[in-house]
Amino acid sequence: MVCSRLTSRRSNSLLLAVCFGLSASAALAQDVVKFGAPLPLTGPLAPEAIKQQQGYDLWAEQANKAGGISVGGKKYKVEIVYADYQSNTPRAVQTTEQMITQNNVNFLFSPFGSGAAKAGSSVSEKYKVPTIASTASSAQVYDQGYKYLFGTFTPNDTLTTPLTQIVKAKAPDVKKVAILARNDLFPLAIAQEMEKSAKANGLEVVYFEKYAINTLDHSATLSQIKSLAPQWIFVTGYINDLLLVRKQMSDQQIKAGVLSMIAGPAYQEFIDAAGASGENTTSAAWWHPAAQYSGKDIFGTTANYVKLFRDKYKSDPDYAQASASVSGALFQMAIERAGSLDRDKVRDELARMNVMTFFGPVKFGPNGQIDSLEPPVFQLQGGKPVVLSPALIKQGEFRLGVN
Amino acid sequence: MLAAQVLINALVLGCLYACIAIGFSLVWGVLNVINLIHGSFIVLGAYLAWGLYQSLHISPWYALGIAAPAFFVLGYVIQRLILNRVITAPVLVTLTLTFGLDLILNNAMIYYFKADYRKLTLTPPMGSVSLFDVVVPIDRLIATASALALTGILYLILRRLRVGRAIIAVRLDRDAAMLMGVNVNSIYAIAFGLGAALAGCAGVLMALIFPISPLTSTAYLGKAFVVCVLGGLGSVSGALAGGILLALIEGIGSTLIGPAHATTLSFALLIVFLIVRPQGLLGRKGFE
Repeated sequence: MVCSRLTSRRSNSLLLAVCFGLSASAALAQDVVKFGAPLPLTGPLAPEAIKQQQGYDLWAEQANKAGGISVGGKKYKVEIVYADYQSNTPRAVQTTEQMITQNNVNFLFSPFGSGAAKAGSSVSEKYKVPTIASTASSAQVYDQGYKYLFGTFTPNDTLTTPLTQIVKAKAPDVKKVAILARNDLFPLAIAQEMEKSAKANGLEVVYFEKYAINTLDHSATLSQIKSLAPQWIFVTGYINDLLLVRKQMSDQQIKAGVLSMIAGPAYQEFIDAAGASGENTTSAAWWHPAAQYSGKDIFGTTANYVKLFRDKYKSDPDYAQASASVSGALFQMAIERAGSLDRDKVRDELARMNVMTFFGPVKFGPNGQIDSLEPPVFQLQGGKPVVLSPALIKQGEFRLGVN
Repeated sequence: MLAAQVLINALVLGCLYACIAIGFSLVWGVLNVINLIHGSFIVLGAYLAWGLYQSLHISPWYALGIAAPAFFVLGYVIQRLILNRVITAPVLVTLTLTFGLDLILNNAMIYYFKADYRKLTLTPPMGSVSLFDVVVPIDRLIATASALALTGILYLILRRLRVGRAIIAVRLDRDAAMLMGVNVNSIYAIAFGLGAALAGCAGVLMALIFPISPLTSTAYLGKAFVVCVLGGLGSVSGALAGGILLALIEGIGSTLIGPAHATTLSFALLIVFLIVRPQGLLGRKGFE
């Protein structure tokens, strides 16, 4: 069943090959550590799933190249079992359960995003399978009192608070902010954090509205924002939404001191498609390839991770891909430190993890969510992202004005 | 001034919506086929414009001249070879068939182009014109004019040309048209070809305005569906009226009650029309 989901869009021959591969790997089960990765490989979230897959695959490839994961002096190869839940959250829960009960995975990566990760976590908690969520930031995922769930994204306010502080410090004339949010779990949560952060820093929120998923035109909304003359426009959404908003801002000759967009500018596709109009757009993400960390994980430095990624995929990694890779690397470290594949021992090692990685410092809080990371704030300058904070990896100064 | 800007935005957007919907309306009205591949045709047209501009620097305005015949042939062939085999079957059969064709085309585009969003950015950008603080982007204005021109050309084809009269005759009464010597199968293929050509041209124009990705096809299809119901099936002027009405409702709704509810408002209107005036604003039984 999982085989058929795995390859729902592939040919029969590929199906046979994958099924054969799975049965062959089952025969070598004693030499393999299996990681389950339920992903939305088809449907609207497919582009995000592909990024996750790239991140996991790169880690698995590096781990296996080094001989595998060392468990009590014996090397175990890494195998990642993928299954497609077709961008359908209830199916993500079923898929997660199947991976535990039928595929006998040792450990799990969460389904994509906060909503599906939360839904899937109830299953992994029931079976006591250590799970790392590599794309879940919302606090509601981690406030369930679960012991086997860990996450590599800090809470949403860690993105908006440093951004607001930079704007307040560098652009004191900015008094009015307009917030436009995609009506979706993560983009809306970020916008709500931005509203809190703006108010806490003495800014007036003159506009706060949500737009529906699949909105094809923002002209009426932007006309209204223009009439309110905010000095800071903050928009959340995904690449298509943000490209459209940016284009329509130019169309309507809307100018602002500061334009912030989350999460588009973190992606190379946005930078390429926005072209000159992306200039001076600020954003924040949990990781950026410009960061310079020297870690104890299998990838070592950030620069080495970026190089390996470029060599394999011919493009720069973004925070989602890096988070997937570091999730694998964290499992590897936890298993090696536990010296065992025992789920409870590995869970305990994850809980006490306090280590520097290529992704940044990793330490999980009591609720399982990472609390050690300081996400970078960056601005597109000269067609390239320039890190503005934290000070440790700062590359340039904030620039005011967006045309 | 905000009201004037919202009104102008809606008029321009309405013409673009009409352009998206007109081919869909023609196929539905004449063939009684709910053509679910229409949205993917629009996206394919957008990729054609993007590819021609990126690789050969062919302006999207010239790309219209390439898209129209290419998509006509594509539509004609699909109708003749595939759709024609089930054209007299119940509407659910043709709906399922076009759904399957859409899956194939859409997944093929995801395979070849990937799901990444792309943007056709003209160099230098065309900018905007402003009059008393009301701003209209020039690319949207030209796209609107092109959309109106395409609508006008279809209207003339249906009104003035022999083939157009035959299309209307088939739509009015298939059996009577056959008795009068009209080759119905050929007319079906021509109508489907025209629908595809209009979708391809709409895609070229949309490439100038919206980000391009196979994932946007459902959004285009949804708009086409609403516009057809509002304006009236198979009616050229109805598509225009439906497009402008939809854009006005969305624009005013977005300004007064927030953009999150604009779509809800437009679908509420759709339900009201289905109950109160199922033939749409300008739809009449069987005649253009």
